[in-house]
Amino acid sequence: MIGFLTLSKREVVRFLKDAIDTIAPPTISVILFLLIFGVGLGSRLGDVHGVPYIQFMTPGLLLLAIVRNAFLNPAYSLFQSRWYGNIADFLVSPLSAEQIALAVLLGGVARGMIVGALVLAAAWLVTGVSVAQPTWALGYALAVAVAFAGLGCIVGLWTRGWEGVGAIDTFVLDPLVMLGGVFYSLDMVRGVPIIEPLSALNPFTYITEGFRAAMLGGAEAHVLIGLVLTLALGTICIGAALVLFRVGYHLKA
Amino acid sequence: MRTPAIFIEHLHKSYGDLVAVDDLSLEIQRGEFFGLLGPNGAGKTTTINAIVGLVKPTSGHITVLGLDAVRDYRRVHRLVGIAFQELILDGSFLNVREILVYQAGYFGIPPRRARAKADELLERFGLWEKRSARVQELSGGQKRRLVLAKALIHDPEIVILDEPTAGADVEMRLQLWEMLQQLHAQGKTILLTTHYLEEAERLCQRVGILHHGRLVSLGSPEELARERGQAHLEDVFLELIQSEQA
Repeated sequence: MIGFLTLSKREVVRFLKDAIDTIAPPTISVILFLLIFGVGLGSRLGDVHGVPYIQFMTPGLLLLAIVRNAFLNPAYSLFQSRWYGNIADFLVSPLSAEQIALAVLLGGVARGMIVGALVLAAAWLVTGVSVAQPTWALGYALAVAVAFAGLGCIVGLWTRGWEGVGAIDTFVLDPLVMLGGVFYSLDMVRGVPIIEPLSALNPFTYITEGFRAAMLGGAEAHVLIGLVLTLALGTICIGAALVLFRVGYHLKA
Repeated sequence: MRTPAIFIEHLHKSYGDLVAVDDLSLEIQRGEFFGLLGPNGAGKTTTINAIVGLVKPTSGHITVLGLDAVRDYRRVHRLVGIAFQELILDGSFLNVREILVYQAGYFGIPPRRARAKADELLERFGLWEKRSARVQELSGGQKRRLVLAKALIHDPEIVILDEPTAGADVEMRLQLWEMLQQLHAQGKTILLTTHYLEEAERLCQRVGILHHGRLVSLGSPEELARERGQAHLEDVFLELIQSEQA
């Protein structure tokens, strides 16, 4: 247990010691989104589903921050350790493959939740948004962080170069999240070519709608559908990551 | 009969068409100072990486103090400390002391004991003054000593050193030899790979010479020299390698 806790601590200390590069930029960029789209443009849009637009978009932005940071931390940490060779420190220790995987995963969850908390605090200051169902929202945020940290573990093991992590971030996560209802609901894009079908097919749309419902108060069905999708994604990602660690994919020759 | 420290049976490792280790069988006794010699690409690093589970054997079997190196890898790792040839140090955000404390933690050593053990090794390896320094601030010799200290943090019974004096100047090499002799005197089993035949002759009780992944000679440096009618291990080594190439 001490070994697992030490590695988990390492994963958290790694990003906290470099907070100016890991915590500050994503927090600031989401705050800028809030200010520009929420305060600036949002004031002209009026209410969306009964709440001011800035409050409507807050859950989506919060989710965006959690997803990206939970993903990036394990992806970069694992690849960095592989690149510099210090992954051998863990591999020649008595830590099991599962313990290493979970410790790296926890680092991602911690970073996702810390950035999420900072964004929520900023959103509260800017918009006065409150959380309607705190327990559901927290559980939901944790489930999302776990799922995408699992994806980060997979990518951190799979990639053969630094650009691999960036490519997944740019070509997979960004479109998934941007077309996943962060800035709009499905109802708002009815009849809009390309955007509506892409959004309707995108599972992240339902994850965002569920989180929005948990945060702002909304249909329980939305919360459950999104949560089920998140848990399914998390199960697949963590399962795959565990298998890769167990077989030593890109870890053992 | 005592269980050997390391028992390698018909180890074979290939990467596609390239055979790195070819049917290697070897027994290293407890408390022995053993040297694995061979030219570049002979299979020395592949062999020691297979012992600690970083290389998956294509076939064959390895046990460490009677424990299966694959099935019981967690228990094996508690018994073995390895200092890699590359100066691998987790120095992107940890200082010298933290590197050792974290490494102790991975081995399940509680924080207070980990700090005490780290401090003891920092003193012993002449790194105390550098305890708060970043790895980038260390000289090559200091990094080499830190790598060795890291391998010893959990007080392993078996110490594996892959080219521990590669790139070291004469003074540092002598210092490292002394440290290794001290470790051996404490009862540790030591498996060393080296290019320096003088090092093997001076330190090792027995040596195995690998060439193209095969064990071509095994015995004490004196025995090997006597058998081949040579004065030094270096002459034995050159003769063996040349005869293999012929």
